[in-house]
This record gives sequence, C-alpha cells and structure tokens, in this order.
Amino acid sequence: MRPFAYTTAGTAVEAVAALAAAGPGARLLAGGTTLYDLMKLEIETPPAVVDVHRVADLAGFDTSGERELVFGAGARMADVAEDGRLRRDYPALTESLWRAASQQLRNMATLGGNLLQRTRCPYFRGGEPFACNKRRPGSGCAAQEGLDRSHALFGGSDDCIAVYPGDWATALVAFDAEVDVLGPGGARSLPLARLHREPGDTPQLEHTLEPGELITRIRVPVTPAGRGSAYLKIRDRESYAFALVSAAVALTVDGDGRVGECRIAVGGVATRPWRVPAAEQALRGQPVSDASARAAGEAAFAGARPGRHNAFKIELGTRTVADAVRVAAGRAVR
Amino acid sequence: MSSPHADVQPVDTRRVDAREKVTGAAVYATDLHPDQLAHAVLATATVGRGRITGLDTAAAEAVPGVLLVLTHLDHLDLQSPGFVMGGGYGVQSLQPLLDEHIAYRGQAVALVVAETLIAATQAAKLVRADYEPEPFAVTLDSPGVERLSQPAVIPLPFLADLDVGDAESAYAAAPVQIDAVYDQPAQHQNPMELIGATVWWRGDTVVVHEGTQNASAIRHGLARQLGIDPANVEVVSPYTGGGFGQKNSLQIHIAPLAVAARRLGRPVKLVVSRTQLFHHTSFRPASRHRIRLGADEHGRMLAALHDVEHQTSRFDLFPMMYTETTARLYGIGDFRGRQTFARMDTQSPGFMRAPFEHPGVFAFESAVDELAYAAQRDPLEFRLANDTTADPVTGEPFSSRHLAQCLRRGAKLFGWSARQWQPASMRADDGSLVGWGVAAGAYPASIVPSAAHLVASADGRIRVGVDGHEMGQGIRSAIALLVAENLGLDVRHVEITVGDTRVATQHLTAGSWGTASTLGAVHAALRELRKQLGADVSGPVDLAAAVGATGREHVESRAETLGPGQTEQDAERARQGLVALAGPEFTGYSTFSWIAHFVEVRVEPTTCRIRVPRVVSVADCGRVASPVTAASQVRGGIVWGIGACLREAGEVDPRYGGWLNASLEEYPVPVNADIGTLDVDFIGEPDLRFHPVGVKGLGEVSMVGVAAAVANAVYHATGVRHRRLPIRIEDVLAGTGLPEPRL
Ligand SMILES: Cc1cc2nc3c(=O)[nH]c(=O)nc-3n(C[C@H](O)[C@H](O)[C@H](O)COP(=O)(O)OP(=O)(O)OC[C@H]3O[C@@H](n4cnc5c(N)ncnc54)[C@H](O)[C@@H]3O)c2cc1C
Ligand code: SF4
Repeated sequence: MRPFAYTTAGTAVEAVAALAAAGPGARLLAGGTTLYDLMKLEIETPPAVVDVHRVADLAGFDTSGERELVFGAGARMADVAEDGRLRRDYPALTESLWRAASQQLRNMATLGGNLLQRTRCPYFRGGEPFACNKRRPGSGCAAQEGLDRSHALFGGSDDCIAVYPGDWATALVAFDAEVDVLGPGGARSLPLARLHREPGDTPQLEHTLEPGELITRIRVPVTPAGRGSAYLKIRDRESYAFALVSAAVALTVDGDGRVGECRIAVGGVATRPWRVPAAEQALRGQPVSDASARAAGEAAFAGARPGRHNAFKIELGTRTVADAVRVAAGRAVR
Repeated sequence: MSSPHADVQPVDTRRVDAREKVTGAAVYATDLHPDQLAHAVLATATVGRGRITGLDTAAAEAVPGVLLVLTHLDHLDLQSPGFVMGGGYGVQSLQPLLDEHIAYRGQAVALVVAETLIAATQAAKLVRADYEPEPFAVTLDSPGVERLSQPAVIPLPFLADLDVGDAESAYAAAPVQIDAVYDQPAQHQNPMELIGATVWWRGDTVVVHEGTQNASAIRHGLARQLGIDPANVEVVSPYTGGGFGQKNSLQIHIAPLAVAARRLGRPVKLVVSRTQLFHHTSFRPASRHRIRLGADEHGRMLAALHDVEHQTSRFDLFPMMYTETTARLYGIGDFRGRQTFARMDTQSPGFMRAPFEHPGVFAFESAVDELAYAAQRDPLEFRLANDTTADPVTGEPFSSRHLAQCLRRGAKLFGWSARQWQPASMRADDGSLVGWGVAAGAYPASIVPSAAHLVASADGRIRVGVDGHEMGQGIRSAIALLVAENLGLDVRHVEITVGDTRVATQHLTAGSWGTASTLGAVHAALRELRKQLGADVSGPVDLAAAVGATGREHVESRAETLGPGQTEQDAERARQGLVALAGPEFTGYSTFSWIAHFVEVRVEPTTCRIRVPRVVSVADCGRVASPVTAASQVRGGIVWGIGACLREAGEVDPRYGGWLNASLEEYPVPVNADIGTLDVDFIGEPDLRFHPVGVKGLGEVSMVGVAAAVANAVYHATGVRHRRLPIRIEDVLAGTGLPEPRL
C-alpha cells in the first residue's frame, strides 16, 4: 500500500468539497471492503481518501414509501438485508444482498460502495506480471487466451471481458432503480442502468460519474412485481463466493395465470449489470410453465459470446433464469 | 456408572487448551512483539523461470523506515538446507536469494526489513527486477516436463516398484475389467496461521519462534545453513495454527531472517502473505493415476495395476508412496505399482494431509466402484467380499484391521440397506437426484523415536515435557488424558510442554505418527515414575502423598522410546533432526489405520449443483486417545475430502507459471454452508501388537477415501462417472443432460 492523505467528511456536501480539495485521483471511502483491498494490492493508488462512512445524510433507508423505496448510499448491506418489509415485498433485493460476500463484509460494506465494486478478474487483481488493460491500459488482456471461466458472455470487447461482479446492482437494474448523485455541479439523477459502462476500448473507465461526484441515494420505484421476485445465485460454494451465474426475476401473474409485469436481469455473465428485455418479452403474456420459463432463459442467453472455459454458463444461465422464474411465480400475488 | 474410586471424578475429555485458543491467550510464533522488533516482507519474481539481469532496490531503500534490503547481491553466505525428503531439512533444497536464477514464479528475490510492516510492504513493491526469461513447464501436460521413473532415480526399498504376483497376466485373464485414468489437481494447504517466524539472536544463539511440526529440522537445518553448531539454535513452537504437512520442515525464509536479525542486531518478524503462501512453501502435487482392475464373475478382485505420475520441482524429487496404501485396501493377490516423477518449474511440492493416500485412494476406490458396477454388485457387498486379514504385499497378518467392521457399522448408521442399486434411480421430494456412495480408506501406521520427561510435584501436579508438536490435532489433550487416566488425576493438574527444543529433540510430528510415538514415551515414563514413587504398576496414585513420602519436592522420570524394531541408529538420526521412521511393515505384521465413509449427495436437477447433506464415517485408529479431538480430526478430514472432491484446485495459467487463484477468496475451500451432518464413530479396539497403549494414527486416515465416496455418490445420483477432480458444476451439467423438472 502507498501512503495517502486521509480526511473524513461529516456531510455529503462536505464530502464533495473535500473531494474537490483533495484533487485528482482522490477516492471516497465507505466500508473499504473494495477500496482498501485494491489499495493493498496497489491496483488503486489514490493520493487521498475521503472517508464518508460516518456521513449521517448518506445513512439509513426507507422501504415504506408509496411511490419508491429509498436507500442511502451509506446504508450497510447487512442492515438492509434484514429489513422485514423488504424481505416480504422485494425478496430479490434482500436475496441479492445476503447472498453476497460474508456476514463480516456485509456488516462493513455500504450500498453505494457496492455499486462501484470492481471486477474479480484474477489477472486484474493479480497485478504483475499479468497483462491487463483495465489495470494498465494498453498492456493487453491476459484473460482472453487464458483462464476465462469467470469471464463475461455479454458486453465484452477485444480489450476486456471482465465481469461486473455485484449482485445488488444486478437485482436493482431489473427494478429500474435510479441513482442520485451530488457533485461540484450540484445534484442529478440517472438510471442505474446508465451508471456502469461496458469496457469498449477504455476498460479502465467503469462508470459514468464525473470526477468529484458522490452517490447519495438509490431509489427503486414501487412495483407489485417485487412480491413475485427472486434472486438466484449459482456459485462454486454456498457462501462467500461470487456468482458464476445469477438471475433476478420479478413478475406479476394475472388472474388467468399469465405473466403480467416482468423484469429479468442476469449476473456473473456480463461486463455491467445486465437486463435482458428479450427474456422479459418472451415471458410477458405467457402462461407460467416450464416451457415459458425455459424460453425466457433461452432468450436471456441468446447472443452470448463465450470464451474458452465459460460456455457452460449458457446452459447454466438458461436454467438459472428458468428456476428463478419458477420461484418468482410461486411467490407472485395472483 | 460405578467406579472403584468413588472420589475420582470422571476424566474431563475436553480439549485442554480450548480456553486459551478461544480467548486468544495462546501465543503463536508471530504474535510475539519483542522490543526493537523489525518487520520483513518478501518481494517475489514475476517470471515463470529465468535469470535476474538487473535489480534496483534504490526506491525500496528510500522508503522511510526501511532498514535493510537483502538480495542475492548481498552474499548471504548460506548453504542449502537440503530437501527434507533428500537427507536434508528444508521444505526444498533451493534457497532463494543466493543467486540470480529464478526457478519458478513467486520465488523470493528480496527480503525487505523495515521499522514497520507498512514501510516494509510498501518498499517490497518497489523492488524492481529485470529478467531474462527462460521457457518453463507448469502442468502435467506441458511440453518440457521431464519424466523419471521413481526407482530409477531413488533406489530405496520403500520407493521401489511394487510387484506382487503377476498382475499383468492376472488382469489380462480377468473376465471383468476396468481401465481408467483419474486426474487430480495441485492443492494448497491454507492453515489459518500463515507461514511466518520471529527470529533474533541472543549472543551466539539464534532463537526461532515459528509455528512448525518439526522444530528439530529447523534447528539442524538452520545450523547447516548458517554453518553454526545446532546447540546454538533454539526453536520454540508451542502452538501451530494448522500444519497439515506444510509446516513439516525448515522454511526458506528462516535463514534469511536470521541473517537480517544478525546484521541489524534486532528481532525480525516475517509473516508470508496469503498469496505468497501459495508460492513460497509446499503444496500437494498434481497427480494422474491409471488404474486397471480385474475381477471374476463372482465379484472377487483378481488383479490391480496402479500407475501414478506426480508433479515435482526441477531441483527436488518429492518421493511418492501412493501404491503402498492402495495395495493394502483389499485382498488382491496380484498387484503392480509404478510411480513416475514429472519434473517442472514450480517450488517443491510436499506433504499435504494424506499426501498420497487421498489422491491414490480417490483413484483406486473410484475404480473399485466402477468394477463393482461392472460386476453388477452392490459396492458395499463388493468391498466386504474382498476383505483380507493378511497384508497382501508381505503375506504377514495386519496387527489389526477392522475395516469390515467400519463398513458394516457405517452402513447401519447410514441406512445403506435402503439404497437402490441402479444409478440415477433415487429422488428426493424436491426432485433432487439422490446418490449414496461408499469408499474405504487406509493409512500406514508409523512410529518414531520419542522422549518424555515427567516431573511430579508434592502439590499433586505433574509436568510433562515431550517430543511432539501441537498443530491443533490435540496432542496436548491426548497426553493429558493418558497421564490423568493412568494416575487418576484431574487433567487440569497435568501441565504439558511440546514443540520446544529446550525440552526434547522435537522430531517431526506428521504422518499421523505423533500421538502413537509421543504416548509411547509418556507411557514408558509413567511406568518409570510409578517405580520411583513405589506405586503399583496400575491404579490411581495420590501424587501429592507419594511425592511427599519421598521427602523431596519433585520426583522425575525420563523415557526414550523407539518404534518396534528400531535401534540406537534411529535414535541418533532423530537427534540429528532427521526423519527416523518405522512402519508400516514390522517384523511379523503390518499396521494400518482404516476407515469407511458413507456419503449422500443431492444433485439439483436444473443447475446440477451438488450438495452433501450427510456423511457417516467410522474409523479404526486403535485406541481413541482423546475422544473430543479425535472426532474433530475426523470431521476436519471429511470436510477436507469434500473440498478436495468438489472445490479445491490450484489454478495454473501455463503462460505465466505460478498459481492464479492464490487467495482464500479465489481458492475455494468449503464453507460452513457446504457441509451437512457429519456422523463420526470409532471402532476403538486398541492395537496392542503395534503399540503399548494401542494407539494407531488418525489425523490423515480421516480424509482418505472421502473424495471417492463423494464421487461414487455423484455417480450413483447421476449415472455419470467423473474421473477428474474437482467435480464442478459444469462437469455435471455436461455429463448428465438431465431433463428439467416439472413445475
Ligand atoms: C471476499 C469478498 C467477497 C465478496 N463477495 C461479494 C459477492 O458475492 N457479491 C457482491 O455483490 N459483492 C461481493 N463483495 C464485494 C462487496 O460487496 C463490496 O466490496 C462492498 O459492497 C463495497 O462496499 P464498501 O462500502 O466497502 O465500498 P468501498 O470499498 O469503501 O468503496 C468501493 C468503491 O466505491 C466508491 N464509493 C463508495 N461509496 C461511494 C459513494 N457514496 N459515491 C460514490 N462512490 C463511492 C469508492 O470510492 C470505491 O471506489 C465481496 C467482497 C469481498 C472482499
Ligand atoms: S478481462 Fe479485463 S480485467 Fe481481466 S485481464 Fe482482461 S483487461 Fe484485465
């Protein structure tokens, strides 16, 4: 780890000011479970860090609103995962949280930090000697001809195929979440779907926040499909592992047993949170059945571009979406 | 329960050091903070093999607080310690930091010492090396791997080819045959306590605190490396936070730490990082096993051929003994074993729990299962029908073999009789495919010279100083129980010192021989003590009264013991810090520990996730020296076996060398959520032919056969045989083509 300047902020406005004062390359620090980790690996080498983990106006969350659920960027994963109302009305959201990381990490980690966690590509994290365009632009991509079992089927480029690893954002993108940000230019909002970038030829750029901007809140429009939702995560062990494949599905079922509203996203397989409108379209209006669930899964994975060791994720992902549709439909209010 | 001594409390069988461990009071080697402590961090090579052509340490030296940067340019003047399995003491013979050659990625190129860990860490990253790379090979399939037949390069009797009868002809004639290849990856121990040490000099004596299974090898190996008298090396290792074979010899950082401590005149501490641990010390080598088995129509096994190759480094031959155990599992009259090295560019591999027995028996017991199915027999019945009382290799009897009893008792506890023979025929209520698998395991019993020193005091307490190391296996508890039971004492009145070269030689504790060896010495010392106290040869002793009656404050006794058939020569080897092993073949008998595992798996029909809801294991380890820690040994072995079958593999990218998934996050050992119910039982018959109190070994046999039982259960669940570990979700997915379930 390199030496760095450390300051704390008491409010969101102070944090923005502190970031501006700290100059280029400064980073916000929330729970530190991504940032400190990458600093120890010297993949992140910020000259300055602004600690926001005690900022009161980022903390807290409210799941009782009639129009939207509001989550402070500083709310802890563990606290939100345990919210009774959210568990009942949006099981996919809580499942995406408690199936992530470990209890110790969830106690520390924040919802805002979670959105901006970075890829677990082993060549990225491994440092020297691995070629990695994300870590060292222009050095190449070791994963493309290497061990790519954990890499993306969607959204990759010749320069990078690293998976966006977060579970929470995968669930959020299915629910049309919005992100509120505060920066030197004031406050603005953007759809979560536009927060992350695909790698293209600049894989080192992962999100669309301007320098000095801070996420303050995440908002999720209220929907009856929340009840009929599920987040399924398939991984190499039953806890403390990232998704090989995950699926967030939220739906309503009409009186005649047909799918009404329908939202589907997949994780562990794409370079950013990956909503799959084709799968939603395949399912919408269909009776809930094994065939329609499978068709949704197939639609979700049509167009996948596998590498050397990850082609199995097409069938696995198809089945995971189908499973998630079945679980969600079982929970949906009819 | 009636007891002849109404005033004697039932013996407390809990782990004697549980409280210290749970509260953090137990002080491990790198918990020490002596005055003036300096911190060391390693910088490591980034090429798969090559030569250092330039080294720049200026930036590292400029970091405030940096005291010393040691590289090969600093003439450390160290000898090789020799390889622990080649007449030496080291985890490998290659001592880094002595010249410009890089033999494997991750090899240390500099040792940076600073006032703080932060400064040392930062500076280590700033060490820059230029290399002239050379081609290298890192997998069994890489071009450039050199293959050598073991007996051709190490002509020692116990490493010879195994030829019992004429296996080739018997196999060729067998009506039912199996011929299959089983692949197993390299694996890495990940003890919670990382590799590390605190080292300082006291005058001419170097003091080493390190979690180890072999304080004696550190003493003698370091003396050899530094060119000093072993009497001037003091090694202290009261606790080892998990050894699993990785801590069974002198690590390669100790000598450079000693040099740094001497140059600085200060204590120096190094804790190797988790990622470096994968590259810095030993690991379980990748191995490939071809098994050919033949049986007659009645399910009698006639012939077995076991050909193995395993990975070793370019500079050390890590000897292998896979067939020693697989030849003993059943009464197969004709057996052939061939073992081959595959040399490549890694650090030297070494012992990892059940080092040969786990991979060898995975292959063999998978093949036996295949054979049972080919012969249309129940796999449990098939195994029982091929039992033996004599060692098929020597023709002599086993001193004890209760494997059939393990299988029968396990089957009963598990409910095996409800199993349907047909693969893919059992389903759970939720639609999961259910598979039940069985496998046997064995592990050679060995014993080494040992020593014990007892001091009984007038206050009724007794101090025990012994040869032996506490790696969490519970040796303290086993000793305390033996002494407490023997004398009728409260276990809390028994005080034990292990792992301290100031007290005893400290022979390597490994290979499951620790308990038997140590307890033999303690038992002999107890006999001597009773004599000195004028007590009966058995029955409780009022220690305070007996010592008081002698008019002395303390009464001492000592014993040095040898394994059956061992001589003064072995004792001398042990004193030199060398391995001095007897077994498993003794005059007139052979001794092994035995185990049977029964495993249920459930395979989710959609995603093909494998779960292991329950395991039943029954072990024959002779007398159970400490029931609580024994059961936890077996549970740990089962968990490890599940991990070995379904999770663990050191990932290698042949373009880079080294290990890719070198962290606890990426190297998937099982987590609690992966483990279901583990039922452990013991036969508990003392083996008095082998040992004075009837103890065989347990730690390693616990794991042997688990992976086979899991894989056999996966076969039973799905009808598809997996011969390459770990069995991952994609393997099952590709193999089964399972129909998706109905809503
Ligand atoms: C071993 C391990 C396993 C894990 N497993 C999983 C898993 O299975 N699934 C999963 O989804 N995640 C997993 N994680 C990731 C974990 O969820 C994230 O590390 C965590 O959520 C990050 O939150 P934090 O508060 O600690 O962020 P920090 O580490 O403090 O920050 C992360 C990034 O976000 C930025 N940031 C933080 N707050 C804000 C803000 N308000 N506005 C703008 N930028 C901000 C920081 O500058 C930094 O770049 C795992 C992590 C570890 C270490
Ligand atoms: S996939 Fe992306 S992160 Fe991974 S090595 Fe390639 S460029 Fe780097």
